[in-house]
Amino acid sequence: MSLWVDKYRPTSLGKLDYHKTQATQLKNLVQCGDFPHLLVYGPSGAGKKTRIMCLLRELYGAGVEKLRIEHQTIVAPSKKKIEINTIASNYHLEVNPSDAGNQDRVVIQELIKTVAQSQQIQSSTQREFKVVLLTEVDRLTKDAQHALRRTMEKYMSTCRLILCSTSTSKVIGPIRSRCLAIRVPLPSTEEVCNVLTSICKKEGLLLPPELAKNISEKSGRNLRKALLMCEACRVQQYPFSADQDVPETDWEVYLRETANAIVSQQSPQRLLEVRARLYELLTHCIPPDIIMKGLVTELLSNCDGQLKTEVAQMAAYYEHRLQLGNKAIYHLEAFTAKFMAIYKKFMEDGLDAMMF
Amino acid sequence: MDKLSGGEKAASSRLNRWVDPSFTELPGESFAVSRRRKAVSSKAEVKKPRKRAGEAGSLQPPTPSLLRECAHRDQDESWVDRYSPRSQAELAVHKKKIEEVENWIKVHTNTSKGGVLLLTGPSGCGKTATVKVLSLELDLRVQEWTNPSNQEPYSSSQQEWRTNGLSFTSQLTQFQDFLLRANKYKCLKMVGDGGATDRKFILVEDFPNQFYRQPGSLHDILRRFVKTSRCPLVFIVSDSLSGDSSSRCLFPKEIQEELDIGSISFNPVAPTTMMKVLTRISTLEAGKSAGRMCVPDLAVLETLCSGSSGDVRSAINSLQFSSLPDTSLEKGLLRKDRHGTTLGKAVSRTNQRKKRSKQKKDQEEEQAIGGKDASLFLFRALGKILHCKRGKQEDAEVVECPPGPPLPSHLSHHHREALLVDPEYVVERSHMSGEFFSLYLHQNYLDFFSEVEDVDRASEYLSDADLLNSDWTSRSTMGYYGSSVATRGLLHSNSQQVSVGFRPLHKPNWLLVNKKHRENGLAAQSLFRSFCLTPLSLQTELLPYLAKLTNPLRNQAQIAFIQDVGHMSLRRLPGRLKLEALTDKEPAQPEGDSEEEEEQKVESQGGVEEGLPESQPQPRTSQDLLEEEELLIEDYNSD
Repeated sequence: MSLWVDKYRPTSLGKLDYHKTQATQLKNLVQCGDFPHLLVYGPSGAGKKTRIMCLLRELYGAGVEKLRIEHQTIVAPSKKKIEINTIASNYHLEVNPSDAGNQDRVVIQELIKTVAQSQQIQSSTQREFKVVLLTEVDRLTKDAQHALRRTMEKYMSTCRLILCSTSTSKVIGPIRSRCLAIRVPLPSTEEVCNVLTSICKKEGLLLPPELAKNISEKSGRNLRKALLMCEACRVQQYPFSADQDVPETDWEVYLRETANAIVSQQSPQRLLEVRARLYELLTHCIPPDIIMKGLVTELLSNCDGQLKTEVAQMAAYYEHRLQLGNKAIYHLEAFTAKFMAIYKKFMEDGLDAMMF
Repeated sequence: MDKLSGGEKAASSRLNRWVDPSFTELPGESFAVSRRRKAVSSKAEVKKPRKRAGEAGSLQPPTPSLLRECAHRDQDESWVDRYSPRSQAELAVHKKKIEEVENWIKVHTNTSKGGVLLLTGPSGCGKTATVKVLSLELDLRVQEWTNPSNQEPYSSSQQEWRTNGLSFTSQLTQFQDFLLRANKYKCLKMVGDGGATDRKFILVEDFPNQFYRQPGSLHDILRRFVKTSRCPLVFIVSDSLSGDSSSRCLFPKEIQEELDIGSISFNPVAPTTMMKVLTRISTLEAGKSAGRMCVPDLAVLETLCSGSSGDVRSAINSLQFSSLPDTSLEKGLLRKDRHGTTLGKAVSRTNQRKKRSKQKKDQEEEQAIGGKDASLFLFRALGKILHCKRGKQEDAEVVECPPGPPLPSHLSHHHREALLVDPEYVVERSHMSGEFFSLYLHQNYLDFFSEVEDVDRASEYLSDADLLNSDWTSRSTMGYYGSSVATRGLLHSNSQQVSVGFRPLHKPNWLLVNKKHRENGLAAQSLFRSFCLTPLSLQTELLPYLAKLTNPLRNQAQIAFIQDVGHMSLRRLPGRLKLEALTDKEPAQPEGDSEEEEEQKVESQGGVEEGLPESQPQPRTSQDLLEEEELLIEDYNSD
């Protein structure tokens, strides 16, 4: 039994649930059997990958769904071995170059070279190009992005690139201009509700509209999250009740409690406890920037309007340092300490104002 | 080997007299040397306590016939030997420590069941002296292991021992035999021994080199020893400041617990005690030399004392050196100098020395003589920064520059009293990279702060320091600035220094957390590859929900991983991270600064482990050890 997310993933452009005009545009795009390099971007859970796979299926037929996971070893010029996992069909190759960390440039050059240099044998029946799908392009180093720019032009005849990223802000200009950019926005709340209801219907379940709305709001319109939540609801309680709790992930709850701990008391001892909690989150694989973001969101909701700008500015400051620095905990903790200091001062001032 | 070095010394003694070997003119010289040889060849040196020392000429008081000789030897014999303590009162060790050791030895020699004791401490803090004195006072025999030197040179004797049926035994086996025999058999009664007792203990100060490479083999031997032990075994290990502390490597905590090894750790000798010892020796010497010797005054003794950082041996050595009779030595050397013989180093040293005796000790220069590199244990280094000692206004002895003009009023809240320590100096002395030191500080600083505002500033400085260290291309230069910012920032921002008492210090969690974070990330990637998700959505969305679902997973590893990582128990306190307390003598952990370095280290470690069995002799199993033991006993009986 696979997850609902995977089970009910649309496989062709025609079956997509939302952004239907975009779907027809994509269909038209590959109608002639060829297409330019694509840069697909949009928030997580909007359906970028789904659309890309549909597109590939439209191009190559059902053969593209026979996936195999390959483990490749690439030797960098410095003789360092880089191991990377790829997902491939006969027609395309999916790789996440940022898995290789700093060595992603080598991965891009070598992988694309090997793919592009092997010609399709039956070019009469098939397309004469292969597709390389690069995910998380926004996490590529600048080095790798510049290498990509050259590679894109060089192997245009045998290879098409589809780049997938959450935002284009970290993708360098030359690459953006070489690709056809396709934005996949988040589905609206109604669209999420519709998808949830139809899937529940397919599962033979009855989903109350209130719950569907509740889920889609809680999920932040992230469809993957919404489906996972919906499935978790099903585990939690069936038949659904309209006002049942939508389960949140443990780490979100944990983070909220951490934020509450910060707000409720400001002292070095409390900071020590918060640090332990941050460590706990980190060991559970939550990336530091996500922690920072979650923390700020929770803290802001506890702040007065006056403080909000200040807190947001600090958050930006330390988030920047988080990216530049080496050890995340310093910056997370510095932010927490800063917030504590500001908040304490604010509260004390407020008390003083009340007194006089 | 002895002969060779003796020859060398003789030759050199013709050149300049002051490097004469101390034993050339001793009456007991031949005896002592032969004894030493014998000891070397017989592996186990069985001696009556203090016997040799007595023979070697430190008779007190000297008999008239020996007086002349003594006076002659004065400048040759090292004072460390001559004034080695002979009673508990003379020991430069704290009474409680001596008592502790004494109690242990008493308890364990009176029962037939032996035990193992581990004495640790910095070099020259009186570990060996304590044991020797105690053995003397408690009337115990000491059986000491000395590493055998190779008896046969390789080239000549190879054939010989083939024909004679001799076989080469490794140091390891010899050590094992030694322990076995020392444990099993009583000492031979010799005629001259007098009424020596049978009670004895085994002393090991000199470890076979193999143990440093493979501590496991020592542990095996010890396990077997503990099972059958009848007499106590004392190990003496010096602490070292570098990362590979031998005591930790040879006697890890697990082994200590498993074998019930008593452990007593010595502190560096306290300055007052050291002063006592130094004054005692210098007055004794001065009395003996009858004015021919320049007696160092109190100030010199104090500098020596502070320069030796608690190492009695080096302090006495430098005392001896600094009170060498200036007249004879200097004249002789200077004359030679005029003659044109180049004795560069010696001359320059004496000149230095002369200058010093004239212009009364510059601290730096005095350290050139026998001064010990004053390094700090991590615990103390951290304490120096965290406890943030500041001078009082009237206190003249401040390291920092004298107070300048007072700060303008709008900056007055930044005013601090001058520091008593130099932070950069502390970091340097801690033998750690600044980055790593900052991690330790970060782990521990919160306990020492009372105000959130101060914490805020301190944490910002730490964040700054990390930023300075972040770029690897400039790390080598920026590292110093980083640590400077971190330490000074912490010191400065702690405005309301509360007088905290003892606070336990902890090792940084970050390295572990970071490693776990990375490992878990990679594990998640490889285990849940089939979901084709980016790491971010995998970690923040899929995994936590998978933990909530009843979706059958494909394999055990996935289930275990979800259990571990996906779930976060909300009720219990974060207990995954145990705080590892930092003990006061612990050297720095091996560092793993950047990720790549760490990974490489892991790889190389793995490689070494795999490579070991071929290149090194395998630790033998207990069974064939037992067999060998029985064989040995037979051998012994037939003798």
